[in-house]
Amino acid sequence: MLFFSYFKDLVGREVTVELKNDLAIRGTLHSVDQYLNIKLENTRVVDQDKYPHMLSVRNCFIRGSVVRYVQLPADGVDTDLLHDATRREARGG
Amino acid sequence: MVVGLRNFSDRIGDGSGEPVLDTENGEEMMRVQTGVTIVLGNGTPQSPGTLYISTKRVIWLSDVDKEIGYVVGFLSISLHAISRDLDSYPSPCIYAQIEAEVGEDDDSEGSGSEANDTIDVSKITEMRLIPSDPSQLDSLFDVFCECAELNPEPNEVHEEEHNWIFSADQLDESMMPEVRDFEWQEDPGNPIGYSNGNHDVVDSILELQIDDQRFDDAEEMEREAQSGHQ
Repeated sequence: MLFFSYFKDLVGREVTVELKNDLAIRGTLHSVDQYLNIKLENTRVVDQDKYPHMLSVRNCFIRGSVVRYVQLPADGVDTDLLHDATRREARGG
Repeated sequence: MVVGLRNFSDRIGDGSGEPVLDTENGEEMMRVQTGVTIVLGNGTPQSPGTLYISTKRVIWLSDVDKEIGYVVGFLSISLHAISRDLDSYPSPCIYAQIEAEVGEDDDSEGSGSEANDTIDVSKITEMRLIPSDPSQLDSLFDVFCECAELNPEPNEVHEEEHNWIFSADQLDESMMPEVRDFEWQEDPGNPIGYSNGNHDVVDSILELQIDDQRFDDAEEMEREAQSGHQ
């Protein structure tokens, strides 16, 4: 649940979602749910020459289980806060 | 769970009606959209047909040939989107990426005798659904989202079962040598179980982790054991 809360704070920010099939999609984070399904708006595929599939697409819903990485805006990461939160979560608190 | 796209011809009644759903396991129809053309991969559009979206699956059935139909479970749909940019694709549509079977792609290419006239739908990784009425796209997309959320990964419950050490507080003194012991064992020159040609090493390490008494006897930890317990 930690990352669910964390990603919810990033709604409206620009992120890059890299899928397990190597497709990377950049877009504005529209919403995220408890399964880390991700909705993006204003999307564009990072390497369009290699992955022309989604040229026509401007928004998408990505299944949480196919996400490999989410690249975040650097200033969207409060490292100290995240450290504390992970420790709390690890203790089950 | 079946992965990827499949052929589907399991229709109600004499084969002219709606798809047969798995109602015993709670599958319900969420949306029926007539006048939908389907495009599989880079293939040619197939029409006309009817799109059925259930709580578990997306099913497209041809209106012309009752034997033709396709099904894909929401667990296999990696991504879906609305495609509206006409420069890139001529018809506004729902675009979906399908997680297909893995491992067979390279080998089976030349061996399939039917490869020329029949496509192997289980290898399809992209699907486009083109409604004759483009104004339906937004609501179709929303139904896709809603149903995708109804189908989380079945195995994600295991995530809680790991046994990792997250903070220094969880490392009391008696555990510390054990951790160091582990690091030594992970030295690439000494693969676990085969260092010094002693095949019992794995067993003794397992015992060390469980049994603190034995652990104190370990030679390299003697000094710590003495200072720690006096």
